[in-house]
Amino acid sequence: MTTMLKTSTHVLLVDDEKDFVEMLSLKLQEMAYKVTPAYSGEECLQALEQNNVAVVILDIKMPGLDGIETLREIKRRYPIVEVIMLTGHGTIETAVEGMKLGAFDYLLKPAEFDELLTKLQEAKKRKEEQEERIRKAEAQLLLKESRKRGRMPFEM
Amino acid sequence: MNTPTPGHLLRLLLIDDERAFLSSLSKLCKMRGIEPRTATTGEGGLAILERAPAHVVVLDVKMPGMGGIETLRQIKKKHPRTEVIFLTGHANTLDGVEGIKAGAFDYLSKPVEFDHLLKKIEQAFERRCMLEEQDRQAAFRAKMERQMLQHERLAALGTMAMGVAHEINNPTAIIHEAADWVRLLLKRKEMARIPLKAELERALEKIESGVERTKRITHQLLGEVKSPGPQAHEINMSELAQETVDAAATEAAKKGIRFRVVSDRGSPVIWSDPYQIRQILINLLTNAVQASSAGDEITLRLMPFPHGIRVSVKDQGQGIPRENLDKIFDPFFSTKSPGNGTGLGLYVARRVVEDLEGTIEVESLYGRGTEFSVRLPRRPGRKGERAGEDRVSDVQIEKGEEMR
Repeated sequence: MTTMLKTSTHVLLVDDEKDFVEMLSLKLQEMAYKVTPAYSGEECLQALEQNNVAVVILDIKMPGLDGIETLREIKRRYPIVEVIMLTGHGTIETAVEGMKLGAFDYLLKPAEFDELLTKLQEAKKRKEEQEERIRKAEAQLLLKESRKRGRMPFEM
Repeated sequence: MNTPTPGHLLRLLLIDDERAFLSSLSKLCKMRGIEPRTATTGEGGLAILERAPAHVVVLDVKMPGMGGIETLRQIKKKHPRTEVIFLTGHANTLDGVEGIKAGAFDYLSKPVEFDHLLKKIEQAFERRCMLEEQDRQAAFRAKMERQMLQHERLAALGTMAMGVAHEINNPTAIIHEAADWVRLLLKRKEMARIPLKAELERALEKIESGVERTKRITHQLLGEVKSPGPQAHEINMSELAQETVDAAATEAAKKGIRFRVVSDRGSPVIWSDPYQIRQILINLLTNAVQASSAGDEITLRLMPFPHGIRVSVKDQGQGIPRENLDKIFDPFFSTKSPGNGTGLGLYVARRVVEDLEGTIEVESLYGRGTEFSVRLPRRPGRKGERAGEDRVSDVQIEKGEEMR
């Protein structure tokens, strides 16, 4: 299926249902993802501080810091981390709100695994492309600055 | 009602054994445009009323055979809404009082002044009309109250059902993930030749199809709306109707059931949400197919009216028993066997119709068939235009009640 990953993508899985997190983590690990579990919005933000996470799978309905607030905080602190939301059927409005706040996409719970894997791949790709653009822009910046100083950082 | 009585509407019966009196009174009535019927005995009068009721009866107290008082009692017993003017002997107040006690509108002493009597007849008719109007209003109020109660009950049931669906969704997701995990494990190389692997896979399938079923239910309850709020598109209802009929036709053909699409004159174009309308029609057609047997016909009829369209789905199936008619729109009410119906089809249809600012009604004759009518506005969000429609729907309900 999708086992052509060179380096394993680091996924942060956030849901207050521990059994759900456990089962989905096992499945993702089976597909060679690196998974860090978190059981609340607060734990999610902590985990992001300590890990280099590519994609967050985020449940919308959680006690405490809810999904939307968590998403807002993730996007404020780590704008290029991609977020896939998990929503119940009655909360499509929330999903739309989340997309406007910068979430990559959403899935209805219970989600089909293949669909989740596809979305994960797409999210990871978008993050890599974004990182690539940032790298290029930074290189440009570096070039400009070094020209200002009158010397090249490297031969062209 | 307080306008001068149009004589041709007044159905009058005169009962008196004095033929001369009858014929002169009849003549006078005819001059005013009233065509009275006459009888010379109480029994004869009652027989006439039996065939065709009257609004007002003028009744003489003293007759051979069944007396005036007894006739009056019989009339009031069988036709309580008929107003009776009692004619008593000269200065016989006692008879008059007894007549009023027995339910007469008023009494006059003979010899009567014809003008006076005619005025009384008109007064009696006015009262009768007023009472009828009151009856109508009371019936209308009762109907509105019933509808409100039904609406409140449905809203409460709906809220609860949605709460339950939300709660069930998370454990369902866990079961789903766990079963999926087991499936992944079974795919591992070292699991290729474990004993009873096929049995495990069979059990997994059962879990998965159970989860699928649960998912369908929560889907329907919580509304699988792709976009927030209905999106208004220009819809040709004739095309949409044909399309849904075609979609349901294969299933129907297997059971030997035919579809017929009838379009009345008028524009079938409305602005609404085609996906939602398709869902409503599919739900109604599916029910109709399930209620029908081989050789039956299902008619989908489009009836455009100035501010919208009425779509009806009529089957020739077994009909809905009276006691179930109030419950068919409830969530989880179903007479189908488990697995064949979630009891959500009509609940969802009604909810969607209301989202689209329409109404849905049912008429059913047990043993003869059922007809569902959906009324949709030409454009949602124009409350002013809907008032007219509501009136149309009232007439419809009256008809429906008669039909039951």
